[in-house]
Amino acid sequence: MANLIFAIPSKGRLMEATIEILAAGGMEVRKTGSERGYRGEIVGTDNVEIAFISASEIANALRIGRIHLGVTGEDLVREEISDAEGRVKFLKELGFGHADVVVGVPKCWIDVRRMEDLDEVSMAFRRKNQRRMRVATKYTNLTRRHFACHGISDYRIVESLGATEGTPAAGTSELIVDITSSGATLKANGLKMIDGGTMLKSQANLIESKTAPWTPEIRAVQNEILKRLKI
Amino acid sequence: MNAESARKFEALEAQARDILATFTGDGYEAVAPAIIQPADIFLDVIGEDLRGRTYVFTDQEGSELCLRPDLTVPTCRLHWERHGRADAQARYCYNGPAFRFQPNGGDATHPREFRQAGIEHFGLAARDKAETEVLSTIVKALGQAQVEEYEIRCGDLGLFNALLDAIDMPERWRGRLKSQFWQPAAFREELQRLVKSPGSSADGLPDALLGQIIPGDAKASERAIETYMHDHGIELIGARTVSEIAANIMNMVEDGTSDALPASVAELISNYLGVSAPARAAGARLRDLMQSAKLDISGALDVYQRRLQRMADAGIDIGKLKFSAEFGRNLEYYTGFVFEVTAPTLGEQSPIAGGGRYDRLMRSVGSTVDVPAMGAMIHTERLLSVVRGEV
Repeated sequence: MANLIFAIPSKGRLMEATIEILAAGGMEVRKTGSERGYRGEIVGTDNVEIAFISASEIANALRIGRIHLGVTGEDLVREEISDAEGRVKFLKELGFGHADVVVGVPKCWIDVRRMEDLDEVSMAFRRKNQRRMRVATKYTNLTRRHFACHGISDYRIVESLGATEGTPAAGTSELIVDITSSGATLKANGLKMIDGGTMLKSQANLIESKTAPWTPEIRAVQNEILKRLKI
Repeated sequence: MNAESARKFEALEAQARDILATFTGDGYEAVAPAIIQPADIFLDVIGEDLRGRTYVFTDQEGSELCLRPDLTVPTCRLHWERHGRADAQARYCYNGPAFRFQPNGGDATHPREFRQAGIEHFGLAARDKAETEVLSTIVKALGQAQVEEYEIRCGDLGLFNALLDAIDMPERWRGRLKSQFWQPAAFREELQRLVKSPGSSADGLPDALLGQIIPGDAKASERAIETYMHDHGIELIGARTVSEIAANIMNMVEDGTSDALPASVAELISNYLGVSAPARAAGARLRDLMQSAKLDISGALDVYQRRLQRMADAGIDIGKLKFSAEFGRNLEYYTGFVFEVTAPTLGEQSPIAGGGRYDRLMRSVGSTVDVPAMGAMIHTERLLSVVRGEV
């Protein structure tokens, strides 16, 4: 019989916290094969296969149904899956991996205190510079949705996969969208948050894929896991 | 999906041959712009909304490229490269694939890979003449494809701009409303704000700074901002200068001293945007509206009327033409007359053809001036499904 495939982030605090939560529910995760392997099992259970994959890859695997369950950040799911509600089900917020997805603008933009102010600034910027102001982010989809919601259209996204908060000072963007937990990194880079600029208060979630091959047997395995996790 | 069966491919090819024959017969030169285009130009022109649906990639040398999301910009580039100036008169037609991301691969009426058959009409200063010619060529092509039942929805940004120009209000409010036109919800909000609390744009600015900002005195205002930044340890980073920041804050302060927009004016603008009627009736309705508001936009209304008359003279069935003041709000690069042809079987969400005037677009390929430009295209997969009754 086929196994339930449960994806756990492959490294760092997200992996450790996930393993702790499973352990608290009496499920001990053990890596199988070599110590650096990407597969594992729950001790004493036959029907669960643990897959260690990166948090962003988990979002994608949930979307296409390659895994049944996974733990990853809501930010990644909302970003990677255009119709998240149709593809996955958020089963439980896990209380770790907190990160807010926020708009960060230079502190010297004294005239910008809220999302609405960006509209005027973006139009003036385009008139003066003959190009759109650039928003550096890895959250391209979340950014588009949020900006559209606030009626801001005169901008252009530049994809940034690292050190995003440094791009305004470096001159490769005018403002950013990034995750922050305390705002300290923004501050250190001469940036500030603005009212209405928080797009998402994200944390790690236990998530079910609606497109995975569910059978009654696999459902039963899932129910057992959820029961042990008191969900 | 589309054209994946040999039979459908043949049908599309045969249909395209007929359409192109109509286009070239009307004096449009057939061209084949590149499918792979530099991403930059599109990203600056089309806005993030369509950018989010464009397939962008980096090639082996690190160049940012894209699969063209439409053929208008590529045709503008071709025109520019050929003439080295944008205002040369020319007429082009094409038939070829365009690509837009659709969630989950798209469906029959919204395929991610589709073929546009279109025409572009550049450089003719008699705008209503170009608009009539383009629309009649499209109508002729649809007629030859045996499409009988359809409606042409049209709008006119010239009217909207003329209306705002005729209303007495600070220039910056006008500019804001014109650019907000594309965002209905934000537009309504801004209109309400200008009526209720135009000064609210300065809310939340530090009082210590506000007292030092003097509208009209840029030097003093810039100094005040520099002092404020210095006192608070704020560094100037990025491309925006102190004078840009000062200009914006001066505007905010000035907003607070300007008289609010009269509620009756906001109502007039809303009423204008609510006009939706058969094209002839709409013209009369607009005239009444302006008369009762004692506003003179007769120039733009005459253009509207003249265009309509020209279209009737050219044999276009004006009964099929429906004007909607709101129409065109999701199409950011258009600047004047816009239209969409919809068939009852496919509905308004899936127009079979559409086009409009985009006099500013040539700037994005290198022109330093606006160039009269009018174009339209047929969504060939949709046309075929309407012709075959497959919907």
